[in-house]
Amino acid sequence: MGAALAVEPPLAAPVVDDQALIAATLAGRPEAFGELVTRYERAVYNLAVRTLRDRTEAEDAAQEAFLKAYRALGSFRPGAKFSTWIFTICYRGCCDRLAKRKRLSGEELPDRADTAAGPELLAVRNDDAARLRAAIDALPEKYRAVITLYHLQGKQYEDIATVLNLPLGTVKTHLFRAKEQLRKVLSA
Amino acid sequence: MSYHDDDDLDRALAALPLEEPPAGLHARIMTATVHRPAPLVRGWEIWLVGTLLALAAWLTWTLVAAPHAVDRALVLFTGVLESAADGSGTTLVWLAIGVSSAWWLSQLSIPRTARRDVRVR
Repeated sequence: MGAALAVEPPLAAPVVDDQALIAATLAGRPEAFGELVTRYERAVYNLAVRTLRDRTEAEDAAQEAFLKAYRALGSFRPGAKFSTWIFTICYRGCCDRLAKRKRLSGEELPDRADTAAGPELLAVRNDDAARLRAAIDALPEKYRAVITLYHLQGKQYEDIATVLNLPLGTVKTHLFRAKEQLRKVLSA
Repeated sequence: MSYHDDDDLDRALAALPLEEPPAGLHARIMTATVHRPAPLVRGWEIWLVGTLLALAAWLTWTLVAAPHAVDRALVLFTGVLESAADGSGTTLVWLAIGVSSAWWLSQLSIPRTARRDVRVR
């Protein structure tokens, strides 16, 4: 009975672009921000998981990123990409968390590979996706970030450079070295 | 799967499924953003009230701490009362005129057309 009373969503909802959703949110329509969250929560969460390598902390980081974005939505530059913006916010938040973690425990040196997911562990995993994930996790932080964004955003190097606040050439170099390390680990 | 060249790795990365976020994440984000109740008092209001309270406390302390503060306040108060009593007749008349003028002015209504003329001009 209750289910019958529920309002059904329209069958063919028009695809609204991010700019329109931002404008609608600023105009006081909360469901528009809900749609933005639906579109990007998965990617943002994955960026946080890959950067922090801690699912609980990644969940907090993703929530924090959306909260910061929501508060600063009025200052969002029209014409910019929401995906790049939210990834930038999330990545900076993750970097702050990593820096704090490092201060507290001396963990996570930026250029050091993660020994917890070394070749021994990789050998145990037979699933290709799991192996690839584990190999990404084993990369040093700067390569991990660039390969994660490459995975999330594709070959949009300018956007990756914006998120990481790095020159384009550095992004390409990091990506090349990250792929090289990945191939080495995966072929071992 | 072999990852000997760049294309193999690119394909593998493109095919790598994203991890599903925890079930409650969407609700958590919405609760923290659009469904967050508006604060009863804004930040600048707290600062304003705090500043005013501090100023009032400082003024009170300055008055109380001054030598013979109570005596001075009493002298000032009686002086005000005496001066009010001295000029009572004329003061009260002017006070009545002022209050009634203010009241009548507040009751006046400017016609709509006249108001529009003024705005256009």
